[in-house]
Amino acid sequence: MSFLVLDSLKKSFGQTQVVKDFNMSIDKGEFISFLGPSGCGKTTILRMIAGFETPSDGTITINGKNQSGLKTSQRNIGMVFQAYALFPNMNVFDNVAFGLKVAGQPKAEIETRVKEMLKLIHLEHLADRYPYQMSGGQQQRVALARALAPKPQVLLLDEPLSALDAKIRVSLREEIRQIQRQLGITTVFVTHDQEEALSISDRIVVMNAGRADQIGTPSDIYNRPATRFVASFVGTLNIIDATVAEPAANTIRIGENVITLREPIGALKSGEKISVALRPEAGSLAESAKGDTALTGTVVSSHFLGSVVRTKFDVGGNQISFDMFNAPDKVLPKPSETVTLRFAASDLLLIKD
Amino acid sequence: MKMTKFFAWLAIAIGLIYFFVPLLGTFEFSLRMRRGEYSFDAYGSVFSDVQFQQTFGFSILMALFTIAFGMLLVVPTAYWVRLRLPQMRPVVEFVTLMPLVIPAIVIVFGYLRLYNSSSYIPFTGSTFGTNVLLVMSYITLSLPYMYRSVDTAMRTIDVRTLTEAAEILGAKWPTILFRCIFPNVMSGVLSGAFITFAIVMGEFTMAALLNRPAFGPYLQLVGANKAYEPSALAVIAFAMTWLSMGLIQLVSRLSKMAPARRA
Repeated sequence: MSFLVLDSLKKSFGQTQVVKDFNMSIDKGEFISFLGPSGCGKTTILRMIAGFETPSDGTITINGKNQSGLKTSQRNIGMVFQAYALFPNMNVFDNVAFGLKVAGQPKAEIETRVKEMLKLIHLEHLADRYPYQMSGGQQQRVALARALAPKPQVLLLDEPLSALDAKIRVSLREEIRQIQRQLGITTVFVTHDQEEALSISDRIVVMNAGRADQIGTPSDIYNRPATRFVASFVGTLNIIDATVAEPAANTIRIGENVITLREPIGALKSGEKISVALRPEAGSLAESAKGDTALTGTVVSSHFLGSVVRTKFDVGGNQISFDMFNAPDKVLPKPSETVTLRFAASDLLLIKD
Repeated sequence: MKMTKFFAWLAIAIGLIYFFVPLLGTFEFSLRMRRGEYSFDAYGSVFSDVQFQQTFGFSILMALFTIAFGMLLVVPTAYWVRLRLPQMRPVVEFVTLMPLVIPAIVIVFGYLRLYNSSSYIPFTGSTFGTNVLLVMSYITLSLPYMYRSVDTAMRTIDVRTLTEAAEILGAKWPTILFRCIFPNVMSGVLSGAFITFAIVMGEFTMAALLNRPAFGPYLQLVGANKAYEPSALAVIAFAMTWLSMGLIQLVSRLSKMAPARRA
C-alpha cells in the first residue's frame, strides 16, 4: 500500500493554476525527486504536503490519513529548506532539540536523541556552535538533523543543496541519500538540478507547467523520455527533425538517410513530419562499432572537452552532436569531413510533444 | 580643493559651536550656585528634592510600561505585516507616522474628549485609568521609532522561512514568536526601547494635560521657580538622552558583530 498519496491535487493562485490535476503514489521508504524548471509547480506541491499551502482541490494522504484540515504543526513532517533556516539565536544542540522540546519530550530523551542525530551527521563536536560560526554545508547538515530528530513520517527537502558550492553539493547529496536509506524514511526532494535528481532518486517526477510530464526511474527518465520537454530538460539530447518514409516498414528519412525505427509508426502517414531523439553518447564513428543504424553527414565542428570530444555534424539541416571518449592519439574529425555515425536503432527515440 | 576643505571644517566648527556652547554655558551656570566658586550644589539640591525623586521614579515606571506594552503591540504587528499582510505595509507605516504629523496637544485633547469621566470609557475618572491613558499616549508618541527599529531588525532575518521551520517542527504561534522571532530582533527591540525611554522621560504635553506627576512637568515647574536647578536638570536630561543613544549604538554594534564573524 502506498504511504504518501497525492490525489487529483490542484492549486491556483488567483487566475493562475500552478498545479494541474497531479496524481502520485509514493511507497514507504522511497526517495522521490521533483525535477523541473522554476515555476513548474514542484515547490508548490512540496508546500502543500507540508501544509504551508492549501490545495485548491484534491487530497493528500499520509499513511492512510487524510491531511486536509491538519495544520503544519500537526502533520509530523520534517523539512529542510534551501536557506538552511536554522534559528540564529540557538546553538546546534538547541536547534536540533527544538522539535523535541516543542513536543514536550523528557530532557534525558531529548539529550540522547540530539546526540544520536549529531552523530548521524558527524557534527557531535560542534554542538555548542551557533549557525553563524559554521559553513553552509555544516548548517545544512544541522538542518537535516533538526528535521529528522522528531522522527517525522515524511522528509521534505526543498532544494537543500542549491546554496552550496559544487564539491559540498556532491558530498552532501550522497550523505543525504545514505542517511535516508539508513533510516528508511519516505523522502520528497525538490530540485532543478538534473544530475542531483538522477544520482540519488528511486523515482523522478519531471514537472512541466504544473503537470507531471513523466514519472519513472532515473534510467527511464534519461533513456526513455516520454515527451519532448523531458528529453530536452534531462541531459543533453539531439532532437532531430525527420519525415515518415514508409509507416508500415517503420522507416523514416533524416536528410538522405533512411532509418528503421524500433517503435511502430504504422499510425502515422507517409511524409508526415516527426521528431526523434538521440543521446550524444549513443553512437560511434568506428567502423567496427556495434549498431544496426547509421547516419552520414558533414562535420561542422569538433571540441575537446577533457574526458570527451564533442563533434557536431550536419544531416539534412539537423545539427547532431555526438561524444567520443578522449585518447592521447585521437585525431579529431575536421570540419567539412564526411562522417558516418553508427548506433543501435533502439537508441533512436520517437518524441511525443 | 583646499578651499572646499576649509569650508567643510568651518561648517563643522559652526555646528559644534551652535550645539555645544549653549550646553557648556548651561553646565557652567549649573555649577555656580555657591557664590564665587564652582560646586555641584545645584545637583545636590535637585537629587535631594523629594518631588524630583517622585517624578523621576514615576516617569521611569511609565517608560518601562510604555516599552513593555509598546513592544507587545509593535513586534507582533511588524511580524504579521511582514509574514501575512505585506500589502498592508504602506497603511501600517502611515499609521505609525501619524504621531509625527499630529501635535501631541491635539492627541491629548482628543483623549480628553473621548475618555473623560463622563464618557463611555472614563479613563480619566481614576488615577489608575489616567496612568493607563498616559502609557497609551506614550506608546502612540513612540510608535514611529519603535515600529521602524523593530521592522528594520526583522528585515535582517528571513522571518517567513524561520516561521515555517518552527511550524513544521510542531511549534505554535506563541512559541514561534517568543522563542524563534523575538530573540532575533532583540537589537531592534532594544533600540526602540532606549529611544522610547528618552522620549518618555522628557515628555511634557501629555503628562501636564493629563495632570500626572511626571518628570517633564517637574522640569517646567522647577524652571519657572528656581535659578540654578533648571540648568542642572537640563544637563541631567541631556545625560539621560545621550546614555540612551549610546546604548542604542552599543546594541546595534553588538548585533552587527555576529554577521561580521560569518565572513
